[in-house]
Amino acid sequence: MTEQERLELFMERIRRGEKIEATDWMPDEYRQLLIKLIHMHAVSEIMGAYPEKEWVPKAPSLRRKLAIMAKVQDEMGHGQLLLRVVEDLAKPLGKNREDLIEDIYHHRVKFHNVFHMEARTWADAGVIGWLVDGAAIINQASLLSTSYGPYARVLKRICAEESFHMQHGENIILALAMGTPEQKRMLQESLDYWWESLLFFFGPPEVTPAAERMLYYRIRTLTNEELRQKFLDKYVPRILSIGLTIPDPQLHYDKELKRWIYTMPDWEKFGEIVKKNNGPKSRERIELRRQAHEGGRWVREAMLTKTAV
Amino acid sequence: MMSADGKVEYGVYEVFVQKSHADHHVHVGSLMAPSPDLAMQLARENFLRRDSAVNLWIVPREYIYTTPYSSDFFAREMDRKYREVGGYTENGRLWRLFKEKTLTMEEIVSHIEET
Repeated sequence: MTEQERLELFMERIRRGEKIEATDWMPDEYRQLLIKLIHMHAVSEIMGAYPEKEWVPKAPSLRRKLAIMAKVQDEMGHGQLLLRVVEDLAKPLGKNREDLIEDIYHHRVKFHNVFHMEARTWADAGVIGWLVDGAAIINQASLLSTSYGPYARVLKRICAEESFHMQHGENIILALAMGTPEQKRMLQESLDYWWESLLFFFGPPEVTPAAERMLYYRIRTLTNEELRQKFLDKYVPRILSIGLTIPDPQLHYDKELKRWIYTMPDWEKFGEIVKKNNGPKSRERIELRRQAHEGGRWVREAMLTKTAV
Repeated sequence: MMSADGKVEYGVYEVFVQKSHADHHVHVGSLMAPSPDLAMQLARENFLRRDSAVNLWIVPREYIYTTPYSSDFFAREMDRKYREVGGYTENGRLWRLFKEKTLTMEEIVSHIEET
């Protein structure tokens, strides 16, 4: 069979909606796109644990402390599941777990803009739990139909655990929304701080060449803009219902166009943050990840040594 | 394999079936077979006479490491409701005060599937 015939058979499988498995033949481009996407997803889970971890010692009650710790554990767990998927894909290229983690502090892999931002107040921790997670959940739910089987299966498990995250985030927000004037003000300030980041999270409205290839291979099935619109559909009414003001006077639903109209976030500013890791908390959190990885090296090595009896 | 008293003894294989690409492999039982190849054939005959599947794993039992049944390995030292959706049932009541309702994963998934 020629390379061209192989490719055509592969694309027929994709078009029929079949799932591709790790042991199947796949074009290099498909493998590379999957590695890039899932590596970024995995690293975003791991780096996404940091903003919330910063609130573990400062959580306002024991129950809140336990709950936010549980979330941090879940995010790290999701990172581990996703890294396994990347490792199987990257094995033929000679890359392993060590490389995938080191890529974070060698700035060779990006992670979501929201995890470069500061969690300044408890309301920020709540907004991260409700809206940042909410945006991530929209994205992950849309990936459940991905053409790559191992990714789809891991996402199924991740989404099941995200159900708890959704309730956890809502619960913190509802408590603040029903709280003292100061708590309500803190919540509003938090929404003001995060709003632009949340819009940026889904990526630019135009379909980039890489995104176009992912759609072609059905790695993704929805565009950035479709996902952003779905997020706004579900969250804007709830945000408004609790008395918050969305910091965008342009924001409205256009009934004729059947879509949300919004002010564009500062694409350049957030793009720089993600590309150059120069957001308010990027360097500090990446340094902690480096220390954890380098500092734990002797333990990983010791575990491989046979104990002398 | 031949045992000491001259009886034929086959190896035990544990069988895992993957029903669809959306599912992980699930343990369904075990069987005895003289070789992995035949274990695979027999697994299909024993466990997939009606059910369909996309993949099958057979694993020699000696490669499976297991926990003891009676140990405190799975002990729950405290209530874990704070980790579960069920620990947040008050959300529904609180959202009603704002004339909204709690968002569920099912609602998101069906909204994603709408075109």
